[in-house]
Amino acid sequence: MNSTLTNIIRCIIALLLQIFICNYIHLFGFLTPAIYLFALFLLPTDLPKSVQYLIAFAMGFVVDMFTHTLGVNAAASIILMFARPYISNLMNGRKTIEINDRPMPAHKDFRWMLGFTFLLTLIHQTAVVMLETFSFRHFGKTVLVIIGDTILTVIVILSIDYLFYSQTKRA
Amino acid sequence: MNNLIEFFKNNFHHFVAAVLLILCFVLIGHSMSYSRYKIARICQSITMPVEKSWGKMIRQFNLSKENEQLLQQNLELLRKQENMFLTREDTTLTQMSETDSVHTTRTRLYDYTYAHVTFATTDKPFNYIIIDKGSRDGIDRDMAVLSPTGIVGVVSDVSKNFSSIIPIPHLDTRISAVIPSINQVGAVVWDGKEADIAYLNDIPQHLEINIGDSVLTSGYSTIFPKGLMIGTVKEVSTEQNATFLTIKVKLSTDFKNLDLLYVVKNLYRSELDSLKSNFKNE
Repeated sequence: MNSTLTNIIRCIIALLLQIFICNYIHLFGFLTPAIYLFALFLLPTDLPKSVQYLIAFAMGFVVDMFTHTLGVNAAASIILMFARPYISNLMNGRKTIEINDRPMPAHKDFRWMLGFTFLLTLIHQTAVVMLETFSFRHFGKTVLVIIGDTILTVIVILSIDYLFYSQTKRA
Repeated sequence: MNNLIEFFKNNFHHFVAAVLLILCFVLIGHSMSYSRYKIARICQSITMPVEKSWGKMIRQFNLSKENEQLLQQNLELLRKQENMFLTREDTTLTQMSETDSVHTTRTRLYDYTYAHVTFATTDKPFNYIIIDKGSRDGIDRDMAVLSPTGIVGVVSDVSKNFSSIIPIPHLDTRISAVIPSINQVGAVVWDGKEADIAYLNDIPQHLEINIGDSVLTSGYSTIFPKGLMIGTVKEVSTEQNATFLTIKVKLSTDFKNLDLLYVVKNLYRSELDSLKSNFKNE
């Protein structure tokens, strides 16, 4: 119960941050961090997968409503949710499979955190930017936007993780 | 059966993901005009060539109906033209209104109907055209006949279902014409040789006429409305001891290829004719 409430509050805070602050950031004119992803990364892995998908869709949808790109962020978030178990398996490598595969500095080392966040953000941003531009013309610029957005988002999300989830006691 | 239910239970989340993704793409297609435009264009580039050639074939079957509709539309437009009306100031209304604007009334002077050619000659000195409408359709003698590109001639005789027309290529033709660039009135006549060349007489020698000037009807006769296309000036020459220019006019109507004709009715002809009959030379 406590964990559920924590997750709900985290999702709402992430959405508020995204809608009221990050959507107005346009670094170098075109880089906008997708901060709401940190709530998706931190969703409990033992949650039923269909519920995970629904949460991802709902969050993406709310963000889309405020950026007038209905469906883009929602679709990208669902793809992210689909890829999440595969990426965490990839990062675990040959190590024994752990139950808690969430990016928390208390349980994981920095390499795991960085790889997990970076790969998933890259997938998400690729989906978002490609769906938004919907064209392979100016492909160089599109790739530049994807990579720039990804790096910015990774920095922001890792900072949040290390600031608020370093202690063991928080779940 | 159990296996199937088991399969659905195990993969339920995949179905949820698929449904949500499809929903997302529907939303993208509906909300974002650029991607919608892009999808539409890609689809079009595939379907357009097929539709174009196929549509061309389908259209062949509807051509006659379409033609008929266009004809009706054309008639409507022709009937609305300014030279179809007699415009006159409405003096009482102008005096009564407080503003300085001049009120006018418009009375319909000409009306149109259409006909198709049943028979036509172009190689005789006294050519004629037979059309498929007669007195039953309201055709009467001395009505003007036009083609879509220019004037054709005058109705000479009317039977119940058919009428005969004297076209411009006829030795008795004499049509009052004007060259708008110099505003000089002359008469178009035919010399009995080529069906698409006529001569414009009565233009004095001192006037400058350019090749390609258009020759229009003057509206001085009761037959033709004002400002209809007759042809364009093809050649201007002066002969010795002549007071007038010799002007060759290329007729804009192709008399060898006539099908659709418009017949113009002057609604006030009897009134005008009764005035004219008082003079001996009419």
